[in-house]
Amino acid sequence: MINIALPKGRLGEKVYKLFAASGYEFPEILDNNRKLIFENQELNLRCFWVKPFDVPVYVERGAADIGAAGKDILLERNPDVYELLDLKTGFCRMAVAAKNDFVDDPEKVLRVATEFPNISQNYYSSLGREIDIITLRGSLELAPVLGLSDVIVDIVETGTTLKQNNLKVLNFITDLSARLIANKSAYKFKSEKINEIIRRLNP
Amino acid sequence: MLKMRLRPEEIAALNLRELYEEHNYLFFRMSRFEEYDFYAGKKDFLTSKSILTFTDINGKLMALRPDVTLSIIKHAKNSDGIQKFYYDEKVYRVHKNSNSFREISQTGIECIGNLTDENINEVVELAILSLRTLAEGRKYILDISHAGMIAELLNESENRNEILKLLSEKNIHGLKNINAPEKIIELAKIQGNNDIENLKCFEPIIKTLRKYKNEINIDFSNINNLNYYNGIIFRGYIEGIPESILSGGEYDNLMRLMGNKNSKAIGFAVYLDEVRK
Repeated sequence: MINIALPKGRLGEKVYKLFAASGYEFPEILDNNRKLIFENQELNLRCFWVKPFDVPVYVERGAADIGAAGKDILLERNPDVYELLDLKTGFCRMAVAAKNDFVDDPEKVLRVATEFPNISQNYYSSLGREIDIITLRGSLELAPVLGLSDVIVDIVETGTTLKQNNLKVLNFITDLSARLIANKSAYKFKSEKINEIIRRLNP
Repeated sequence: MLKMRLRPEEIAALNLRELYEEHNYLFFRMSRFEEYDFYAGKKDFLTSKSILTFTDINGKLMALRPDVTLSIIKHAKNSDGIQKFYYDEKVYRVHKNSNSFREISQTGIECIGNLTDENINEVVELAILSLRTLAEGRKYILDISHAGMIAELLNESENRNEILKLLSEKNIHGLKNINAPEKIIELAKIQGNNDIENLKCFEPIIKTLRKYKNEINIDFSNINNLNYYNGIIFRGYIEGIPESILSGGEYDNLMRLMGNKNSKAIGFAVYLDEVRK
């Protein structure tokens, strides 16, 4: 039996469609029900929806053998897992954004609002810039508008939300997409089945 | 009768001690603390950089042992021959997920001195036999890698740390993205036991690798600490236990740092707390 952790939400649905197209289907999974666990007994697979941010935890601790997680979450949590495949879906970028009229004063400590404190810290450490991190759980665009922060570090897909709030991208930090990760120990004992999944997902 | 009252990890420790006794390893008992200065210059060799300290009655800063190997090398008498020790101790480290100090049970062996290939083979074999003892019928596997070989390939690279991270994740798409050397990508792809005859770095232990062909897995994503290890490194897994429970390798670098220039060393530790989970 292979246990698969999928991220609840839009990215997870995209990833599930990849699985389904590769022959790994779970009946009922896309129905609007409250079930969390789905089994395909024929293929001996079980899959479950978890919060996107929690996928690496389930995999690292072995509750799931494999999982699909956004690269943003992997960079933020830095789990001890294998990253076996770029699923090439859910493309977006991690970026620094600020108000259209923002001018950086390098002598000031930069106030950074973000959902990704570790990514932000690593990025600004690599530039040698001192920052003050403000960790928020969403609606990041508000922070610079209300003067809570100078900049935000956030995921940018099309940039529409930024534009609507009079914000602009200052720098791109890294490209993001969904990745297939595996528990290190589980991969030792189920490598044949996991490699088969990878082969089929990666045409 | 006595064994019935012991916890599973205590029984496991006794079984391992029996195994090491059979192979003429001597039991090594040591104090739970050392002077802090002893560790200060050797942090590169420690898994967790934080050390639990306290002040002794005479004002000296002491440390609760974060590592057994350093103490064994320090206290082993400087002799020309080969010394074989095993231990069953607690170490004090910061746990990755809890951000606080933990007491960790560790059993293991160290083989130091004028080592021959014979000794190296014996330690690798004992690692496999330790896993067999702990597995109690479940499947187990010893991942084998070579720190020297990885370090050599990385010497030319500027983004060494980035490559190491990707290699440890088996992240082949990531290695390709940053244009890592082709040889590293080849290394990242190796798994299973088909390549044991072709990899020169494993020549000294080829005898053991052949004998236990189905219990080993060549895997260069097992990097561990390249400051510490310089030769063969290995890591053991048991089916159903999500973390590795055995880790070790050749660490001649450490012997050099401790002033034993001509000595070699190999050893491993078994993390018995993982067995119980």
